[in-house]
Amino acid sequence: MSSNLRAYIARRLLLLVPTLIGMTLLVFAITQLFDPVERAALYITDPRQARFVNEIILKYGLDQPIYIQYFNWITQVIQGNLGWSQSLHMKVLDALVTRFPATAELAIYSSPLIVILGIYLGKLSAVKRNTAIDHASRVMAIVGWSLPSFWLGIMLLAIFYGGLGVFPPGRLSEWAEALVRSGEFKLYTGLYTIDAIINLNLPIFLDAIYHLVLPVITLTTINVALIMRVMRSSMLEQLGKMYIIAARARGLDDKTVIDKHATKNALIPVITLSGLLTAGMLSGVVITETVFEFKGIGYFAAHAATQLDIPAVLGFALFAGILFIIANLIVDILYAYVDPRIRLG
Amino acid sequence: MSDTSLNLDEQLKVKDLVVRFYTYEGIVKAVEKASLKLRKGETLGIVGETGSGKSVTALTIIALTPSPGKVEDGKILLRKSDDSIIDILKMSEAQLLKIRGREISMIFQEPNAALDPVCRVGEQIAEAILAHRRMEMIKKSIELIEDEKKNGRHDVWTALEMWAYREMLNNSSKTILKILLKLPIIRNTIKRKLNHAVRQEIIELLRLMEIPDPERVIDAYPHELSGGMQQRIVIAIALACSPLLLIADEPTTNLDVTVQAQILDLINRLKEKFGSSIIYITHDMGVIAEISDRVAVMYAGSVVEVAYVKELFRNPLHPYTKGLLESIPRPGTPLKSIPGNVPNLVNPPSGCRFHPRCAYMMEKCKEVVPRLIEVSKDHYVACLLYGGGE
Amino acid sequence: MRSSLKIEQSPRIKEIIFILTRMRENPLSIVGLAIVISFAIIAISAHILAPPVYGRDPYIIPRSGYYPEPQPPSPEHPFGTTQGQYDLYYGIIWGTRAAYRIGVLVVAASAVIGIAVGSLAGYYKGFVDEILMRITDIILAFPSLILAMALVVAFGPGLDSITLALILVGWPGYARLVRGEFLRISAEDFVEAAKAIGSSDLRVIIRHILPNAIFPLLVYASLDIGSIILVAAALSFLGLGPPEGYADWGQLISLSRNWITGTSTNPFAYWHVYTIPGLFLFLFVMGWNLLGDALRDALDPMLRRR
Repeated sequence: MSSNLRAYIARRLLLLVPTLIGMTLLVFAITQLFDPVERAALYITDPRQARFVNEIILKYGLDQPIYIQYFNWITQVIQGNLGWSQSLHMKVLDALVTRFPATAELAIYSSPLIVILGIYLGKLSAVKRNTAIDHASRVMAIVGWSLPSFWLGIMLLAIFYGGLGVFPPGRLSEWAEALVRSGEFKLYTGLYTIDAIINLNLPIFLDAIYHLVLPVITLTTINVALIMRVMRSSMLEQLGKMYIIAARARGLDDKTVIDKHATKNALIPVITLSGLLTAGMLSGVVITETVFEFKGIGYFAAHAATQLDIPAVLGFALFAGILFIIANLIVDILYAYVDPRIRLG
Repeated sequence: MSDTSLNLDEQLKVKDLVVRFYTYEGIVKAVEKASLKLRKGETLGIVGETGSGKSVTALTIIALTPSPGKVEDGKILLRKSDDSIIDILKMSEAQLLKIRGREISMIFQEPNAALDPVCRVGEQIAEAILAHRRMEMIKKSIELIEDEKKNGRHDVWTALEMWAYREMLNNSSKTILKILLKLPIIRNTIKRKLNHAVRQEIIELLRLMEIPDPERVIDAYPHELSGGMQQRIVIAIALACSPLLLIADEPTTNLDVTVQAQILDLINRLKEKFGSSIIYITHDMGVIAEISDRVAVMYAGSVVEVAYVKELFRNPLHPYTKGLLESIPRPGTPLKSIPGNVPNLVNPPSGCRFHPRCAYMMEKCKEVVPRLIEVSKDHYVACLLYGGGE
Repeated sequence: MRSSLKIEQSPRIKEIIFILTRMRENPLSIVGLAIVISFAIIAISAHILAPPVYGRDPYIIPRSGYYPEPQPPSPEHPFGTTQGQYDLYYGIIWGTRAAYRIGVLVVAASAVIGIAVGSLAGYYKGFVDEILMRITDIILAFPSLILAMALVVAFGPGLDSITLALILVGWPGYARLVRGEFLRISAEDFVEAAKAIGSSDLRVIIRHILPNAIFPLLVYASLDIGSIILVAAALSFLGLGPPEGYADWGQLISLSRNWITGTSTNPFAYWHVYTIPGLFLFLFVMGWNLLGDALRDALDPMLRRR
């Protein structure tokens, strides 16, 4: 790795710290909107402790000045104590960790589909600019972007599940759930499709995929527009550049010029965006998970929110924010690696 | 000038070229009946301000008129390396692919912008070579393999390569060859000798461009090189297939003065070596004086004067040319400039496009478009002062 | 050759006419405009189209009984009723008005705050810029739906909470945009000129820089309003919005969830409860997106040529 890249990474990592601190400050500021009794829930790890509210308030200084409170709170958070979720009956951190694989599974299957389809349509649109194909894909993209994700999900469920009886909500069918719970099926990652492969269990693998179809379609339809639009404008920008004319002046045919030169350059900003999109999905697709009863972190955040389960919601917000920032960082580094101008300085 | 063919000594003839740009602001009449002649082995300098249409003309000669431009009329006759004569504007895209980079090459104003930033420079030169000299390279690869065989170094992979090259030489379309060439690792193994041969060729080319340490430069990305080096790469790409005609669109304008001199020098020497004709576009009269054999002056889309360089400087006829020469800063004399502005090309002035700024303007100039006529031997002007009106 | 009188148009007017002409040629923008205007008409004439019950908050949907099962469209209920016998037609009409209300409010407030913050940051640069940008970055570091959710839980569920939460989450976007425009425009000569003749900072900002930053802002706002309505509807859908019975599209869609399987004989028996509110929501958002997209294309300098 060149020294230039190393310096870049070091700089970005350094910038990470103030951003993380800032984030915790924001979440902390939100906690201040609640009164001390409610805030006590953020510190308990066991429901029985709820009876000792006054002791908790004293211990964590909930009636003390803000900076003391922040210090107490942040030390707890760093140790992993995000409080007790009364809607889920478990520690918030546990809830997040156990629910995350479901969200990850959804993201892992949707992301590549969105990116590949988006790039393909965007490139097609740019190359065949102002033709019927261009207009058609752009309309399709806008339609997808305008669709409310919960409505699309409900419509798909109504048609396929309600109407045809296929693709039910949830992650697994009842028999598969039972099997997983029984212990015969070993969980390694928490992603049912991957675990099914490791367990060499085909029926569960198929069942998991079966339940992934509709949510993935929903997510893809909605997000393709974003990638497509950026790819299209990126391609158009590259196609207007001098090196494209120069490439043609060498005698290269259209296909080579577009595929080899324009596309490679056009993909650079798209990669960043794709990374951010994936990061966003990993932070929890609250709506889609809720509609399809796909029990990931988004589903439980929504559930907790309706129950006004403060520690859960705030824990989720913190988790999502941190995840997002780290993903941003990874994407930035990836971008720097891919663009030789930055990589080699 | 005869209309449909070239004289024996002529390389290129542009006749009454009309190029218009269709934009939302209106129709830009960028090139209006421009005519040029280029003789074999000569350097024709095209001089003019921004908006004179010189770059558009250059790009149109190589059939790369930028959109939304359209060629409305005219002929561009080229003598190819096999001595046949073609009209560029009538060629199909497939035919043009064989001309660009092979019969006509172009070098550009901003070398940094003319190179693909995410592609190594060696790769970009290789593209030019493989586009037009593929068979030659394949033959060379076969020779290299046969040499190796003589030295006793051969194995199954070399045999595979040999077979592949022989097939490619015969232009075979065997499916198995196509499949093999698509598989990632196999593809690289088969092309090993070919890549080697091309690489050798590129290194030779870089040496010719007087680029130091070609082995390292060949793998560099454009931004890792200085402006002067980048321009040498661009020239290398252009000359890779020994074109008969090289179009240089202000190649030194964006370079430092010292580098400028080096590049000009290089271009001249390469011209000697390759025997090409050059069209050199610039707005710098000094460069024109140094590099051209003959000069064409363009204004607002037409050619207004053509002459041998000494004659032009000694005896400029067109008022615009006079103005250009007078505006070259000279120590001791006050700065002179041509009054007025470059005309709006959507609504250009009627008649002679220069008339609003011309000190010698007559009433006729507002109505009649002057044609390019030969006033003295090999000295052409398009100005009603010298006739040429209808 | 154009003879006759040519009225000297100020560059701004010319720009507007140019944009409108470009947009007129784009059929999608016409569709978008038509949709947006139609919905606006519905919203304005809500009192006429769906007269409210006297004395009650007009946003509360009248119900004909408490029977849970939704009824299909009929003469007295043009769109049928949803779970709990709320009149769907009434809900949709007043929901349009509610959507415009929240959309315009959030966009306006976010824009005002964003412009204030962004202009200060972009004009004064330096330390002020750093601080303000750190704050916007931190808010932008969170996925917006999640942050909004946390805020709504903190404020207590309801439409006002949603509005406030969306404003708090939305202004950084405007701030970034305005700041960017300011940085770009400040570099221009006419700003230097204005400062040189002694105009106060405020005057320079308001009279000289802002008008030039308007167009990208409009594009952003018209694209934003669609997202805002979607997020607001999503929050309502999750149950964090107004109480049941309020005329809110998100609410109505959430009420439809139990009925997607239909009856044993007809799987689509309750199609009206989930299809209609969602359709209106979708069309509203799409109308604004089409408009915003067309506006953006019309302003894009790269795409200005044919």
